[in-house]
Amino acid sequence: MLPGPDQHPFADLIHDYVAECLPLAERVTEALIALERSWKAGDPADEEFAPLKGLLHTIKGNSAMMGLTPLQELAHALEDVWALLAARPDLRSGAADLMLRGAELLADQIRAAGSTPPDAALVAAFRDEAREFVGAAAEPAGLERRKAERRQGERRQSASVAAADTVRVSSHRLDRLLEIFGEAIVAQAALEEAGRALGARASAQGNLAALDRALTAMRRTLRRFEGAVMEVRLLPVATVFGRFSRLVRDLAQAESKLVRLETTGGETQLDKSIVDRLGEPLVHLVTNAVIHGIEPPAERARSGKPAEATITLAATQRSDRVLIEVRDDGRGLDSERIRLKARALGVSPASDNPEDVYALAFLPGLSTSDEVSPLAGRGVGLDVVAGSIRALGGSVRLTSASGRGTTFTLTLPLTVAVVRSLLLGVGDERYAIPLSDVAATFRMDPERLHAIEGRQMTLWRGTPIPVADAARLLGVPPRPEPARRYCVVLAASGRPRGLLVDRLLGHHDLVAKPLDPALGRPPAIAGAAILGDGRVTCLLDAAQLGAAGDGTAQAGNR
Amino acid sequence: MTKKSGTSPPPEALLQFADQVATAAPPAAPPEPELQLVAFELDREEFGVPIGQVREVVRVSHISRVPQAPPHIRGVVNLRGRILPVVELRSRLGLPPAELTPRARIILVEVYGRTLGLLVDAVSRVVRVPRSAVVPPPEEVVSGRSDYITGVARLAPRPLILLDLDKALLLTGDSP
Repeated sequence: MLPGPDQHPFADLIHDYVAECLPLAERVTEALIALERSWKAGDPADEEFAPLKGLLHTIKGNSAMMGLTPLQELAHALEDVWALLAARPDLRSGAADLMLRGAELLADQIRAAGSTPPDAALVAAFRDEAREFVGAAAEPAGLERRKAERRQGERRQSASVAAADTVRVSSHRLDRLLEIFGEAIVAQAALEEAGRALGARASAQGNLAALDRALTAMRRTLRRFEGAVMEVRLLPVATVFGRFSRLVRDLAQAESKLVRLETTGGETQLDKSIVDRLGEPLVHLVTNAVIHGIEPPAERARSGKPAEATITLAATQRSDRVLIEVRDDGRGLDSERIRLKARALGVSPASDNPEDVYALAFLPGLSTSDEVSPLAGRGVGLDVVAGSIRALGGSVRLTSASGRGTTFTLTLPLTVAVVRSLLLGVGDERYAIPLSDVAATFRMDPERLHAIEGRQMTLWRGTPIPVADAARLLGVPPRPEPARRYCVVLAASGRPRGLLVDRLLGHHDLVAKPLDPALGRPPAIAGAAILGDGRVTCLLDAAQLGAAGDGTAQAGNR
Repeated sequence: MTKKSGTSPPPEALLQFADQVATAAPPAAPPEPELQLVAFELDREEFGVPIGQVREVVRVSHISRVPQAPPHIRGVVNLRGRILPVVELRSRLGLPPAELTPRARIILVEVYGRTLGLLVDAVSRVVRVPRSAVVPPPEEVVSGRSDYITGVARLAPRPLILLDLDKALLLTGDSP
């Protein structure tokens, strides 16, 4: 499942190189975007020159050390242009685009360095362009640059000595650690199961108490172990947010719009495997926001908004979940249009509640935009975004206010090691559902179940909620008239829904594994896990189950 | 760097080793071409798959159903901590379903670099079959089945149908 140990003696080194230099290159891009704004506003921002030069110099040095000559040359070419700009404020705003393109090329090539050699032709083309730019300017700058470079070299020496209590570890090793921890959790569940079986026979009470104590101690230790394993896997969300300033700038330019990107909570931490796979859905959402969400400056002016729009990426932690918001102050989504489009697909909202109407935007095949843009296609499929967020164990919600903007809220799990789950008995099968999706459980007496407009409903906390039979949803042969049934209230997608099951089998810490591809991609199943008795259980995807349960999203199923 | 790639054993040691290998090898007699097969029963017929693709044969433990999985998937099992899909070979090959008996087994095979379980009525034997005993499948055996039968080995007491697992388990499409 995981890639094996490093195949190549240099693989580790290249990996370290990318890990060190990519953030530097991304910082260069970010700094340039900020500088471009300052320059346009007439601020020369002289104080920003030294740090950026330091970054370029470090990249150049590291590239040279790895024998990545084209990247060394590219960094050098950027330094040359930079040195010229330091001496010539008059050239600055005209050179911003050249610098940005170079910095982006540099970041791309560093990112790819782990798998492919640098693209020498691309680099050479840029180098020539940079030379031409520098050559066209005055001569004395060269002297200035060499002087500046000498000073910089001295500074770099001290900067390259990393803090002594930090260790670089390859992410394969971290994955391995997580895998072994998962095995320990499964073994613990098996032990607890065996302990229970022994207790049922109950002969040697004294020894059982000792076993119980030992199991409790182990459970506690494993909890702490989990915390420690997760901690080393945490990365700040800023590593993803970093790429977006460039994306927003380019998209806005192409669309002739004025857009500013704000990021907050970049220091919020998430598991590495989630951070790694968060970029793509966020690119979808941000691209959509610039192209479809934000109005052209003239239209904004007419509605009394500042010509420059703002897109915000905000991260916050809420107990064991991390919320990421993608917010724009654009025109907002037209809920009536969503409703009409959904009707064309044969789907109606679960209620007139705005949240339920907006939830329709995540249906496959539903696009909220009629314009075709070469950059976004026809309103990039939100169903794809929702699917990839669900694959990470998270969910996505959408709110919008006409004329004031749209907000997507991604809710992501902080940890990926274990899923605290409720085990359910459905017919002769057992299924697990994440506890974070369960709002409540209660005994379901037949008289509490009502049929309203052909749908099964029940009252929960005074409001009617739709109820679906788990055996029917999952295609499990039902038991002949079970003695008593239970209702599990799911609150995954914002609105509570009931799931009827035969038995509640307690809380379990499960180590979720992805399903083998041979099993297809069952939408309602998030993964599989091994229980204490050695049997396998499928982990249900509450959001998908809930969607299927209200009879509206059948269009998405086979 | 702790990995040393530059150090190599002295050439004499290498030569000695080479001699050892050369003398240890048996005199090269042309081996008779034969197939080694794991034979199993399905619906009173006997099938065979190359032993090289078979990882292990296990008794049927609890098979957990997977909702919304393709129709020929029986479910998943836990094999020493790995969660493996089990293919209902009867339904995959278009044979009628049957109750599991104590003789039923799961054959773990390697297909497309993955491990899959095949649910069969029983595993009957491991046989060596000379290639010359394998004939193309006669019409009445092939009829109604796709091209995943590579041949039939004429064996006593009954013929053995050779399965091409890669084709039989092409899991993307529907059942044949």
